[in-house]
Amino acid sequence: MKMEDIAMLAPAEPLTVSPEVFQQLGSITRLLHDTMQQLGVMPKLQMATDGLPDARSRLTYIASKTADAANKVLNSVDRAKEEHASIAEATRKLGAAVVANPVKAVASGAVLNFVQEVEQSTARIDGHLTDIMMAQDFHDLTGQVVAKVVTLANDLEDSLVKLLVQVVPPDHREKVDSSILNGPVVNPEGRTDVVADQGEVDDLLASLGF
Amino acid sequence: MSNPTDLKFLIVDDFSTMRRIVRGLLKEMGCNNADEAEDGAVALNMLKAAKYDFVVSDINMPNMNGFDLLKAVKAEDSLKHIPVLMVTAEARKEDIVLAAQSGAAGYIVKPFTKATLEEKVQKILQKLAATA
Repeated sequence: MKMEDIAMLAPAEPLTVSPEVFQQLGSITRLLHDTMQQLGVMPKLQMATDGLPDARSRLTYIASKTADAANKVLNSVDRAKEEHASIAEATRKLGAAVVANPVKAVASGAVLNFVQEVEQSTARIDGHLTDIMMAQDFHDLTGQVVAKVVTLANDLEDSLVKLLVQVVPPDHREKVDSSILNGPVVNPEGRTDVVADQGEVDDLLASLGF
Repeated sequence: MSNPTDLKFLIVDDFSTMRRIVRGLLKEMGCNNADEAEDGAVALNMLKAAKYDFVVSDINMPNMNGFDLLKAVKAEDSLKHIPVLMVTAEARKEDIVLAAQSGAAGYIVKPFTKATLEEKVQKILQKLAATA
């Protein structure tokens, strides 16, 4: 919610709130503060939350680096494929010329032109392949950043879980909102709610009549 | 309708990289006629504005996700004949079942290969041809 939105929600005239409400709010805040201090999670949680803006910029950096690398690779592949198609076409033409009249093909310079064309084209393809290789540098750079963000996330998770266990009523502690785990399944081993590969997807769909 | 080279595809994914990869794979299959949409809402507008023969859609997207797009396509008389192939990182069985029940023509989990995409597209087209 933006500050403008909050301002719009403010009543035109001052609200009359009973002092009991403020007392209750104060008690709840004090209880929460004391609980967190007793649990010993406050300093760790504070450290972790302090690191969040840094983590956000690190994640943005990863997204940027990986997107750049992917685009660089795809562009290089497109160009290399064009060069490859050009060589294939020139080869077909030269083949036809040699079959039709070998002497003329050599005398007209078609063979020599083809050799030069292939030489230039393969040099350009080599350049594209080098670009693809160099684009992989994102792996090293982002890998280091990922390691730092994972450490931060672990600290934050540890603190929040401790806090959550204390705050949530005992009969609800087992119930966790699984939606936060959506997305790619990193490790499907031992899980029955996910599929491990395309074969399992096909088997499941087949069992549904697909 | 069994030849994919004659078809017009709509590729729906919020990641431009994945759209390019799917487009590139379709091109290698001989399908040069493909448009792209970055989410379900954009895709639905494009589907209503022009004729498409095949949709390849991600699930997790902003504005309108793949499930909502699938349901919207199947609820629209003029669009419900268009096969929708889900290509997604979602590997949960309940998502696969939901996609099937919502009318998806196929389901591919990422990462996938060119062979898998080609096989699924051909299979869907053969099934459509058989029921036509």
